[in-house]
Amino acid sequence: MFRSNNYNVTARIFQRQIRTPAPGTSFHCARRFYENIVPSCTIYDAECPDHSFRKFTEDGQYLISFSRNHQDLIVYRPSWLTFSCKEEDCDGQDLPLKARKFESFFSQLYSVPLASSSELICKDFFLYIESNQFGLFATSTPQVHDAPAIGGAVHGVPSVEKITFHLLRLGDGVILDERVFRNDYVNLAHSMGVFLYDDLLAIVSLRYQKIHIIQIRDSGTLVDVRAIGEFCQEDDELFLNSSYQCTANGDRSRQHHVPVDHVGQSDNHNQPSPENSFLSGIKQRMLSFIFQGIWNEETDETLRMQHVKKKFYFHFQDYVDLIMWKVQLLDRHHLLIKFGSVDGGVSRNADNHPAFLAVYNMETTDIVAFYQNSVDELYLLFEQFCDHFHVTSKRSLYMNFISSHSNNIHVREQVRSNKNKATSLPQFVKKMLSSLPYCSQSQSPSPYFDQSLFRYDEKLISATERHRQCTDHPIKFISRQSNTLKFKIKPGPEVGTADGRVKKISSFLFHPFLPLALSIQQTWSLQPAVVNIHFRR
Amino acid sequence: MKSSSTGGVGRSWQSTATVSCSGKRIQKEMRELNLEAPPHSSAGPKGDNLYHWVATLIAPQGTPYQGGIFFLDIAFPVDYPFRPPQVLFKTRIFHCNVDSAGNVALDILKDGWSPALTISKLLLALTSLLSNPDPYKPLVPGIAHLYLEDKAKHNELAAEWTRRFAR
Repeated sequence: MFRSNNYNVTARIFQRQIRTPAPGTSFHCARRFYENIVPSCTIYDAECPDHSFRKFTEDGQYLISFSRNHQDLIVYRPSWLTFSCKEEDCDGQDLPLKARKFESFFSQLYSVPLASSSELICKDFFLYIESNQFGLFATSTPQVHDAPAIGGAVHGVPSVEKITFHLLRLGDGVILDERVFRNDYVNLAHSMGVFLYDDLLAIVSLRYQKIHIIQIRDSGTLVDVRAIGEFCQEDDELFLNSSYQCTANGDRSRQHHVPVDHVGQSDNHNQPSPENSFLSGIKQRMLSFIFQGIWNEETDETLRMQHVKKKFYFHFQDYVDLIMWKVQLLDRHHLLIKFGSVDGGVSRNADNHPAFLAVYNMETTDIVAFYQNSVDELYLLFEQFCDHFHVTSKRSLYMNFISSHSNNIHVREQVRSNKNKATSLPQFVKKMLSSLPYCSQSQSPSPYFDQSLFRYDEKLISATERHRQCTDHPIKFISRQSNTLKFKIKPGPEVGTADGRVKKISSFLFHPFLPLALSIQQTWSLQPAVVNIHFRR
Repeated sequence: MKSSSTGGVGRSWQSTATVSCSGKRIQKEMRELNLEAPPHSSAGPKGDNLYHWVATLIAPQGTPYQGGIFFLDIAFPVDYPFRPPQVLFKTRIFHCNVDSAGNVALDILKDGWSPALTISKLLLALTSLLSNPDPYKPLVPGIAHLYLEDKAKHNELAAEWTRRFAR
């Protein structure tokens, strides 16, 4: 009886007064208050504008939403509910009807049209540049399957006529800069094809196999830093052309058709097939790294040949055929690149395709490491040092508290038990490593997902943004420490829908630090979504 | 895009006799290559296609190409060893005997070919081509010219190419 009292707010405040927390745990202790301050009150089916709500920015300043026709961006500022009450016992009363609506919690800042006539907003794509309060959005034309692979494009990758990235100042909705990709393909779902690190963007062009590194300047301009793919260094192409020119000039008088041809080719950018027969810059680096590794594995001269033949030449074409699927920055110089077959890069479920992960230093243009996605070595690194892969904005302290199996004992135990239960270890490793490279900003920093504070059914809800199958049961958040139910989140109408067979999908938007969340339930039919507001009274 | 269709690689089965003949010969050479490989180079069939090989040259120390790893495509004709294999650089190289599409000018790959030659000897010849370019039978006259006129500049450029494109 007495013990459980330790967990109420008064007891905690008193504890805070008289006790100094153990060194280095003051943040953890302060965060315990979230166990007491929870979004336990729900406004069901709140009267709200018919937009698709995307997310809260990581600093909690903005709520991003798009119009239903995927043309406009509407930005809200989350504000706390205030209302006046004439009755005597205010707390005991239900909320007045006037307060029970979306506008009581959010005030619209502006609405700006983003999409032009033929383009639509990709509602799965949004990245927030916290340091400058910029937002990055994408619009695109519909994708074309069976697009002919012209001009060095990879065969089998769909094409999109136009993809535009828009950089906006979120404070007032002014468009600062744009970047257009034509007849290209960037995977925009869950921002997969684009990674943000500090002010650096890495955009993967699947179709042309290039990683575009773009810097977002404080002034709000997008500046090309380099493109990695066909060439590794930013001036490789220039160097190549100038040396062709140089060797051609020294030879004006004699038969000079070969070099001159090449100068002409690179001028009008339609390089014929002989030019493409060379390995691309990144492939050369990769193959030479693999080759040297295999070559040095075996020191015995006579066995070495056999070894290289079996392990390298036999798979040579497979390595050559790999394409870059996804990329993340590990720091300002190192990229983690996932390579796989063409089929796996486009399809949603890439688990069954062989894939490789490479660490590439873009300054020195060296491959630092290369792993198949089923090796234990990489998995063990991932298990222990997951947070090194998971680079987040370092500006807000609470971003460091996103639970992972490297920083949270409960998550680690869960992973270990899954590992022990797994029937096939390589399969388990593959599944775990399939989350690499990470997607930018795909996890909510909300304290209610902190697994050292709460436990909840991760099949129904988690920090990772996903649409989820919805059940009619409320989702329970149980305190880790006291093992008591702290609050429930129930998406959809208060009383379950009449037809239980209709498939429902729900998504959850949690404010990064306030006890405020939206749950959005949709059915596949054309009915508008049911939005519930969860907050603390 | 694939150069595998050139040079009658394996897939054309007009004369079974020659195919199995050349196949046996290639297999024999492969066994020999396993036993005594020339230094700084290696080669092997790509996948299970006996007629399509990949070779790797580790550029010898002391040449402007040092530090470079060069990959080459080797395609054997069906009537091998009576016709020479076709060799194509897959790695860019600044060399007067390799053109801007990767074709190699080497005497033993043309008129100088003899059925007595083997892959092992070919690898040796290719490696020595890195140490000793032949500017008098150039494929890129501009580079040959530079090699003869200003060798220091030539080596500097070749090293820069290696650093950029062949690591």
